Amino acid sequence: MRREFCKIISNFRVANNVYKMVIESKSISKEALPGQFLHIKPSQNYDPLLRRPISICDLDQDKGGITLLYRVCGKGTRLFAEIKPGDNLDIIGPLGKGFPIFQNKKSAIIGGGIGIAPLLILSKWLKEADIYLGYKDETYMTDEFMNYSDDVCIYTESGSRGTKGYPIEALEKNINRYDIVYACGPKQMLRAIKRLCEKNLVECYLSMEERMGCGIGACLVCACESSNNDEYKKVCIDGPVFNSKEVNLDD
Amino acid sequence: MIDMTVNIGGRRLKNPVLVSSGTFGFGKEYSNFYDFNLLGAITVKGITLKPRKGNKPPRIMETSAGILNSVGLENPGLYSFIENELPFLKKYSVPIIANISGNTIEEYSLMAKELNEHVDFIELNVSCPNVKEGGITFGTKPESVYEVTREVRKVTNIPLIVKLSPNVTDIGEMALAAENAGADCISLINTLMGMAIDIYNRKPFFNNVVAGLSGPAVKPIALRMVWQVAQKVNIPIIGMGGISNWQDAIEFMMAGADAISIGTANFYNPLAPKEVLEGIKEYMIENGINDLREIKINGGVK
Ligand SMILES: Cc1cc2nc3c(=O)[nH]c(=O)nc-3n(C[C@H](O)[C@H](O)[C@H](O)COP(=O)(O)OP(=O)(O)OC[C@H]3O[C@@H](n4cnc5c(N)ncnc54)[C@H](O)[C@@H]3O)c2cc1C
Ligand SMILES: Cc1cc2nc3c(=O)[nH]c(=O)nc-3n(C[C@H](O)[C@H](O)[C@H](O)COP(=O)(O)O)c2cc1C
Ligand code: FES
Repeated sequence: MRREFCKIISNFRVANNVYKMVIESKSISKEALPGQFLHIKPSQNYDPLLRRPISICDLDQDKGGITLLYRVCGKGTRLFAEIKPGDNLDIIGPLGKGFPIFQNKKSAIIGGGIGIAPLLILSKWLKEADIYLGYKDETYMTDEFMNYSDDVCIYTESGSRGTKGYPIEALEKNINRYDIVYACGPKQMLRAIKRLCEKNLVECYLSMEERMGCGIGACLVCACESSNNDEYKKVCIDGPVFNSKEVNLDD
Repeated sequence: MIDMTVNIGGRRLKNPVLVSSGTFGFGKEYSNFYDFNLLGAITVKGITLKPRKGNKPPRIMETSAGILNSVGLENPGLYSFIENELPFLKKYSVPIIANISGNTIEEYSLMAKELNEHVDFIELNVSCPNVKEGGITFGTKPESVYEVTREVRKVTNIPLIVKLSPNVTDIGEMALAAENAGADCISLINTLMGMAIDIYNRKPFFNNVVAGLSGPAVKPIALRMVWQVAQKVNIPIIGMGGISNWQDAIEFMMAGADAISIGTANFYNPLAPKEVLEGIKEYMIENGINDLREIKINGGVK
């Protein structure tokens, strides 16, 4: 983990409000693992004040390229979208615990919306996982996933592309094929996947989101409910990836 | 050779740059960024006698140039702190300030007694509800500030810092009460009480309704309070609240602070303490100031 000013290689729109940014850092990309995130300062002044956590979406470890995929939804991400190639960003990373990678296990990867971001690099490292991607309407990054897996199923709520519906419906049908499920997406989706996997005794890893302060384990603001009622987990260092059995997603 | 040392209750700090309770964990996390021996002292996360789970999330919200937090003093409790957290920090030569919170005077006293031989300073966080007084915060009544300080003073012989709450009408009165009860130093400010509302659900954003405001947004208030306290007491002052850079730090010293402490800035700039220290040093050299004390009051604000 280090703090670095990283050069922006490219930054462009891939869908409505969704952007892909490539930054350069040999050292961070060398250390980084699927599921880890970067903590990025959106402005050089004090408003917005805090860094924003963004997952590592892809890595080019030879060239030191790190791809990020982000959805513009507020002050900070709006500023990210304005960044030009050649500019620098103040970054701390790589942070957090990533996805555990096992050899010789049959895995499914399931992502919803912008939650697909950390799953691309995971697909690349796992090589042979089945991939289920869900979108509202517009799809993005599907070709990239297809580069890393022969089995990519696409679902949209609107039915504009792929199969109309939700990816969990398909996962549910196939759940017995898998030893492990990896997931990232909206909380309701994660809740359903956790339930599905635990019911079928399939190991399950979820990438979680919570608002952060320090991003490194010092401030305790990123608490998420754990299955052990006596304590909270820290999303920034105990996660963001958790075994589904460690966390409690009930409201 | 410039002299940056600060004397607090008979203990010398090698420089005036500290880090604030609750923003620096128990140290470990920030040790990746610079050598702790550079710091004047480290104030560790607030501890209570028994472990505390802390508040239900959400615990943070960004505001304009600030943050609201509602951590609720999550900590492993006094004994686990001594056993599991302190050994790491003891590897460094940096002085350690233990920040303690209690619901009764007896709790504060017991904690201070147990910590006496383990840390270099004790900082009383008086922004806690006094259970015996119907939950009124210790730090909002001069009588209870006096009483808790006096009782803790009896059981510890290491320097005692009283950390004041800014949520009061007359901060000078609170500082004076602490000084009269035997405090060696005043630190201020703790977070300001604030609030945020989720307008779509018509509900407070935080489960506790109110939360603590910190960061650059509070700096002018903190500075004013440090200045007011400096007019009232003769013991050293640790100034904090929104300090983000060395210029802020110099301002606090000119208002009357002997040392300064960095809190929220650690979150967005983990190197802030180091940069502030370097900035103060450069400022002293450029302005021909050989002794830190010259920045304070008389030589300070005109
Ligand atoms: C580990 C982790 C990885 C993430 N990876 C990605 C990613 O790859 N791509 C992507 O688009 N988004 C990702 N997010 C969500 C992203 O951090 C938020 O969308 C972003 O912080 C919003 O900032 P803003 O200033 O645009 O929004 P604002 O609403 O203005 O933000 C206000 C504050 O709330 C925080 N906040 C708001 N929404 C979230 C959220 N969903 N999660 C955490 N903090 C939030 C902000 O960080 C900021 O402190 C990730 C979140 C986490 C915790
Ligand atoms: C997340 C967080 C946790 C804090 N926890 C404590 C605490 O346990 N004890 C305490 O005395 N002050 C605590 N504080 C207050 C800070 O130490 C400091 O007084 C305050 O934040 C103002 O300084 P700043 O604006 O530089 O952060 C906390 C502040 C924050 C932001
Ligand atoms: S964000 Fe500070 S502990 Fe997780």
